[in-house]
Amino acid sequence: MKITDFRVEKYQQIMDRPLGDSNGPSGDDLINSSILWINTDEGISGQAPMGNDYVENLFQLIEGKDPREIFTHWKNMIDFVFKAGDEGEAHGALSAIDIALWDLKSKIYGEPLWKTLGSDDPKCKIYASDIGYNLSDQELFDFFDGMAEKGVDSGKVKIGISTEDDVRRIGVVHEALSKASKRPKIMVDSNEYWSVKYAIQTISKIEEKFDIFWAEEPVRRWDYKGLRLVSENIKAAVSTGENLNNVGDFYSLISNQAADILNVSTYQSGVTGLKQISNIAYAFELPVTTMNCIGNYNAQIASAIPNHVMMEVVDPGREQAYSKWNDNIEDGFLHLDDTPGLGLIVDENKLKKLQSAKINRKAKAPWGRRKGAGLYIKGFAKGEVKWK
Amino acid sequence: MRIIGLKTTLFEHTLSRTMGDANSPKGRNKAGGCLIEISTDEGITGISMGGAGAIPQINLLYENILKGSDPRNVTGLWKKMVERFFKGGHDGIANDAISVLDVALWDLKSKYYEEPLWKTLGGNSEKVNVYASDIALPISDDQIYKWYSDMSTKFGFNAGKLKVGLDQDSDLKRLQLMYDALKLSGKEPILYVDSNEYWSPKQTIRKVSEMEERFTLGWIEEPARRWDFLGLKKVSNSLKTPVCAGENLDTLGDFLPYFHHRSADIIQVSHGMTGITGALQIADAAYALELPVTLGGSPGIIHAHLANAIPNCITVEVPHPEPESMVFSTDVKITNGFAKVGNKPGLGIEINYDELSKSKVGSVSVKSGPSPYGRRQGAGLYEVPPSKDEIKEARTK
Repeated sequence: MKITDFRVEKYQQIMDRPLGDSNGPSGDDLINSSILWINTDEGISGQAPMGNDYVENLFQLIEGKDPREIFTHWKNMIDFVFKAGDEGEAHGALSAIDIALWDLKSKIYGEPLWKTLGSDDPKCKIYASDIGYNLSDQELFDFFDGMAEKGVDSGKVKIGISTEDDVRRIGVVHEALSKASKRPKIMVDSNEYWSVKYAIQTISKIEEKFDIFWAEEPVRRWDYKGLRLVSENIKAAVSTGENLNNVGDFYSLISNQAADILNVSTYQSGVTGLKQISNIAYAFELPVTTMNCIGNYNAQIASAIPNHVMMEVVDPGREQAYSKWNDNIEDGFLHLDDTPGLGLIVDENKLKKLQSAKINRKAKAPWGRRKGAGLYIKGFAKGEVKWK
Repeated sequence: MRIIGLKTTLFEHTLSRTMGDANSPKGRNKAGGCLIEISTDEGITGISMGGAGAIPQINLLYENILKGSDPRNVTGLWKKMVERFFKGGHDGIANDAISVLDVALWDLKSKYYEEPLWKTLGGNSEKVNVYASDIALPISDDQIYKWYSDMSTKFGFNAGKLKVGLDQDSDLKRLQLMYDALKLSGKEPILYVDSNEYWSPKQTIRKVSEMEERFTLGWIEEPARRWDFLGLKKVSNSLKTPVCAGENLDTLGDFLPYFHHRSADIIQVSHGMTGITGALQIADAAYALELPVTLGGSPGIIHAHLANAIPNCITVEVPHPEPESMVFSTDVKITNGFAKVGNKPGLGIEINYDELSKSKVGSVSVKSGPSPYGRRQGAGLYEVPPSKDEIKEARTK
């Protein structure tokens, strides 16, 4: 079997609700999306729910090759981007290609990715994540309540700009999740908005009222000493890593014991990169969590990782180009089925409709960094969040 | 696909050279093994070799975990096997059992996909760096020279690893012989040395420094005790030669002190460390820490399948370029100084059942194990060179 060609389709979708965090609290319901196809001479194709213009530069490395030799392709791509680094557009393309190749490999074997990766238990524990700083208290409650109905006993809430409001909102989440557990697991995420000392002060205040499982990205992604200092001064675990690109970026965190939990995703140089990072974490007795993603395909990989805690589920309605995705949440777990590959099936008609829709505005995500970040707290502007 | 049966067969065969290291100058002329065969309802059989002393543990894991399972789910089954031995630890004999079963599961997984293991692992069939490894401290200088000459001229090896540790003058002489023999390949020789934990850190520093005056060494292997992460680091800090260690560690967790303290410059990895699943984990961890790995000896050189599927492998150890036993054949060939993987499904190991029935034994004797005499007197304290009797015994084997 040989790789013959590829295709990238871009589209926009308006989600069921806006997503936003401490850097963009107003949120936005419009997101830019894309799908990458990698095709073979035997009619089987692999897809990734992402992809960009740089794919063309890397495609020459896999054209005509056997798609099953994934590690070889990954290594060739990593070595190809050597000088400028596994960063930016090249990084995005590399991750997308690797994901599509894993989808393809499993499809060639006629089995779901969880089986190709050797999982013996096709499910993974999940936590609900609002990414909804703009949601009202009632909307926040309803989101977590809906998840609790499905047995989800863990939730992560976006915080960072107003401790008083944040504590109240954590209470809302706690109350909603109490339906699923007497002691729901609560996580907080301030998306690198704080300084080290501010993080310690604020998380300590929150911990006076709530038992926090982990505090995510309390300080900058590369500040391994700062992260360690935070960990040494709070009870909650420090979780970080989602904005790092690859195993090399994790080196300083790991060798300095900067984090207690590593947050991994296929955006860290594909499924191959994710596996590498979870393996080094395993060696260092560090658990990993997986990020949210379109179609929840990270669950396929998570189910085969020996040190995986839980996967983030946002489910804001980003699967508008798909007729099938990993959406079976029961008893707090995402249950995977036997659909070959990532468990996603693209609906070309839906995709065409999305592409021809006239939206006439630009998506606001990804957000830039909010003013005051790491220096002082810039309070909400009037009307920035509807509940303030 | 479901697992429906397990068969273990012990066998022994004669070695073509007397093998041994600093801990066993008397040497041994036999090797033993255990053939594991896992059968499935699809008619595919997964095979693996090793774990001759771990049959009760192998049976326990089979009965409690593997029976009725889909072998494609190898990562999950690996975790179940590892956690089965939580309290006592999944090292020692438990590790032997897990390792040999994990390899058989990978063989099954690839065979089910009708492809060689290297492809299942995402690697490729490009040639793999290898080195010849005598593991033959007991044989004479002439025999050492002849063995490396054969490796060099018949198989193209330009890299070799000498067992050292008991007699510095002899070791220096043999290093030169190995160099001269490997030079016959037409390429510049690469020399590795291995003292198998016989020296203390300071003994190593003295002896290897002296070797460094005359030779450039690719690495010094196991220059201190396996757990002495500070001693290993001290050796590395004091030598130009890289420190290579890890061979006698069993699990990923065992490597944690090395990783925290950067004790070794090169990490030894093998399928004997909780299987292929474990080997890949260790290689990834080392990769993240910018540490290269080297793969140890393996039956039928099956490690060649892994070499191109991990990002940081320097070279693969080859004690026997062709199987010593007629019991099995391998699809990994050594030519022009490199290993080349073939296209047979799975590990590419095929069993000759006529030969197996001839080599079958009721139990494998201690004398055919890799370390028949335990740790040698004086280890870590002072050197005890081979006695006349020991030499005599070694040469008459």
